Amino acid sequence: MSTGAPPLSGPPKPQAKALNCPKCGAAIVLRSFGQAETVVCASCHCILDAKDPNLAILQQFEIETSDIRPLIPLGTRGKLRGTDYEVIGFERRSTQVDGITYCWHEYVLYNPYKGVGYLSEYNGHWNDISICKVLPTVDHNMFGGSSLTANYLGESYKHFQTADANTDFVLGEFPWQVRVGEKAAVTDYVHPPRVLSSEQLDQEVTWSIGEYMYGREIWETFKLPGRPPEAMGVYENQPSAVRTNVTGMWVAFAGFVVFLLALMSGFAMRAKKEPVFHETYRYNRADSKAEASFVTDVFELTGRTSTVEVKTYAPVSNHWIYLNYALINQDTGQAWDFGREVRYYYGYDSDGSWTEGKQNDDVVIPSVPPGHYYLRIEPEADPSLSGIPYTVDVTHDVPVYGIYGIAFLALLVPVIIISFRAYTFERSRWSESDHPPMQLSSSSGDDE
Amino acid sequence: MFRKFYLLYGFLVLGTVAFGQYRGWSLDTINQLKNIPKSVRDNPGSYRSVYGGYHHYTGGK
Repeated sequence: MSTGAPPLSGPPKPQAKALNCPKCGAAIVLRSFGQAETVVCASCHCILDAKDPNLAILQQFEIETSDIRPLIPLGTRGKLRGTDYEVIGFERRSTQVDGITYCWHEYVLYNPYKGVGYLSEYNGHWNDISICKVLPTVDHNMFGGSSLTANYLGESYKHFQTADANTDFVLGEFPWQVRVGEKAAVTDYVHPPRVLSSEQLDQEVTWSIGEYMYGREIWETFKLPGRPPEAMGVYENQPSAVRTNVTGMWVAFAGFVVFLLALMSGFAMRAKKEPVFHETYRYNRADSKAEASFVTDVFELTGRTSTVEVKTYAPVSNHWIYLNYALINQDTGQAWDFGREVRYYYGYDSDGSWTEGKQNDDVVIPSVPPGHYYLRIEPEADPSLSGIPYTVDVTHDVPVYGIYGIAFLALLVPVIIISFRAYTFERSRWSESDHPPMQLSSSSGDDE
Repeated sequence: MFRKFYLLYGFLVLGTVAFGQYRGWSLDTINQLKNIPKSVRDNPGSYRSVYGGYHHYTGGK
């Protein structure tokens, strides 16, 4: 019985191959075996031919600064979306738009069984990139020199930007003939969270598809120490902060408004609006020295607990009358106490004629149970008023429309907030594109 | 996710409106008192309104 012998079945475990730079003699590790076309010496910055057993020097480049360092060190391994990868290459690329240089970084990943994958990073925004398996189709409606849309695997991508990408710095291994100073025309089409990119170098066009990733996902994947750099701004294919369908929200809102209108009409039709009391009184200042308060006849409210509306009309003219009301349940002693003022003023000044107030007033008392009621009324009036008639009307079970207004606003506000957030997010996204918001007609950001 | 939350919220708003209408809710603020003595009916002056002594408006523009 054998013990301790490793099993011989299964694929051989990949091993890195160690070489030396023909220029400076520094150690060079080849991790991708036959996959690499070029390998870069980290010591003397020579680009070497990885296919050549002698590692022929293809290019040597100068670096402007020593600050260029990959956030994920070469040789780091991690499981990215189910596949084990090792970081084997790193490059910094840049583009110039309106005299401003924008830099981003690309990482070459390698798995001996799955091949090569890529990661890109710009200002803390990451993308998991792979080469397209089928050729995308491009809509040939031309707009600003670029096609508006591209289609890939049944999804439509909007043109975002076309720019020349320059390779500034390289490190590690690359499965193509990489050169510093190489310029490629890069066109990006977006369908958040994905970006479809075409990269044209001479006559060769390469299409790739990328999916947005957050820095923390990358850090977790490669088990990197510390925290990822904070993402700055909104990236071209960054999923909207508003992860909901804004159009769907508006449709839901419209549905709720229809329900609300149905409720309003239903309750308006169902409301009894039953007049239960009507009387006209007269306020006389001469009588006010005596007790001014009095009570009305008893009236009955029937049915369920409901609203009671008290309307007051007084033909005041540049005067006021104030009525202290109490609606008192004769049976239970429960009372609703309220004061109502009727005032009406008018005049003429340098701005023209004006009016203020009105000659009638109404108030709705909430949730009044059925029973026998009377009103206690205590009138007061403008001291300059010798006397004035006033009419009191009481109606049982009236609809309150203000509640519908509040409900309408309560339903509208979240949709407005969400729409505004989606709009500002999309505005930030597209402000960095070849189609800034001024030219934008339909980018309201319906991210599912 | 938010849409589901909004749908739930919307139905809650509609339900509250329907319940409020059924129960006779109002937007007016009315002071409610209990156990008013029956004698008020015979002697209205024995009741003092909480709105008495209101500082009245005394002129237009």
